[in-house]
Amino acid sequence: MIYLDNAATTFPKPPAVLRAITDCMRYDCGNPGRGSHALALRAAEHIYICREELATLFGSAHPERVSFTANATTALNTVIKGLLREGDHVLISDMEHNAVLRPVFKLAETGRITYNVFPTHPSDPACTPKTVCAEILEHIRPNTRMLICAHASNICSAVLPLEEIGALCRRKGILFVVDAAQSAGHLAINMERMHIDALCAPGHKGLMGPQGTGFFLLGDGITADTLTEGGSGFNSLDPHMPDEPPERYEAGTLPTPAIAGLTAGIHEIQKRGLESIRAHLTACNRHLSERLLDLRGVTVYAPHHVGSVLLFNVDGVSSDALATELDRRGFCVRAGYHCAPLAHTTLQTPSGGAVRVSPSIDTTEKQIDAFADTLKGILQ
Amino acid sequence: MHDYQSGCYCVMGSMTQAMRAQRVLADAAIRADIVKSDSGESRRGCAYALSYSCAQAVNVRTVLSRAGIRPREFYGGAHA
Repeated sequence: MIYLDNAATTFPKPPAVLRAITDCMRYDCGNPGRGSHALALRAAEHIYICREELATLFGSAHPERVSFTANATTALNTVIKGLLREGDHVLISDMEHNAVLRPVFKLAETGRITYNVFPTHPSDPACTPKTVCAEILEHIRPNTRMLICAHASNICSAVLPLEEIGALCRRKGILFVVDAAQSAGHLAINMERMHIDALCAPGHKGLMGPQGTGFFLLGDGITADTLTEGGSGFNSLDPHMPDEPPERYEAGTLPTPAIAGLTAGIHEIQKRGLESIRAHLTACNRHLSERLLDLRGVTVYAPHHVGSVLLFNVDGVSSDALATELDRRGFCVRAGYHCAPLAHTTLQTPSGGAVRVSPSIDTTEKQIDAFADTLKGILQ
Repeated sequence: MHDYQSGCYCVMGSMTQAMRAQRVLADAAIRADIVKSDSGESRRGCAYALSYSCAQAVNVRTVLSRAGIRPREFYGGAHA
């Protein structure tokens, strides 16, 4: 089996991640932040180390501003619903995943906020950061309070210029929220330099951690309302959630073994280096793109963006049928809309979506060739 | 329960705040252990505290203050 669905979740995980999870479960799995006996402290140490690693990775000096969630979607929901107020206007890009669109849509549908979608022109090779910022400027209203965008698309390799967008948001006094689901572990992100007020990401994709891990980092001075309330391990007599992050946003017991695994995943990323990871994924998809464009009837979407994800279709074949046939022949790829109908509309994929291929840091050129040869065989 | 008369303590609040303060002190070569403060001593309930040698009491205040860390309370030794 050749797994090419790493944009959904990375597989397989590095052996060090599996070891960290089982070692934690075997030796250190008290309840972190609940009590001060030896096992509770060992578990809390795992959690704090991961906060430190994430803060360092994303250019924050404040590990206590890293809050863990079950996934990026919960992180985004917490940040979006916790920071927006009645009457606010929100801008989202035209490449957003449903993890952004749906919470924003729900708030708008219930009359609490209004929102607009700004175009990012992923299909236009001539589009520059200046073009994107000009589009944003056109959509800003006096009550625009937040801009949310995906750093990297989950259906093609388009990347938004965070530094320029962040600077614009800071100038205009707009909260800048970034969905780093596809870029964390692949691209450099510095919250301070990019003026990011809230960064949301999963642990189980580019960061190589297990499923069940996600997090958000808040910038200095940013406090959100809580999405869930419950035990925080301290101030137990107070019926309110604590004011201080991260416990304010972490009601209930954290998944210590999974978070220990995430730390090991981050170490793996650091060992390989972001630039080397990016270069490898780009080389894989450049090669695949060249092979696919040689085949008659194949459309590759936004082919000038080469990175971790490649999206394609074959004339006259539904994406689901193609993915099913590829699965039968041993290739795991994902078809359909990838929970991103907005982005599919932007790229003008047909009804039924398209096929997404997302290699990993361990995918080889031989595997890419095997995929291209198999596809060629199916089309003949 | 900790005997605040026999050692020095600063009450931090959450485990995360206690760990952050513990690391800042460790960087300044000051050893501090995380302990749970007595739930009955605060109207808000339990909290985590750092326990350290009273000989370091002044240094602890200085180092934490420089790092922008404000403990809820100091107990014991010269703090008392």
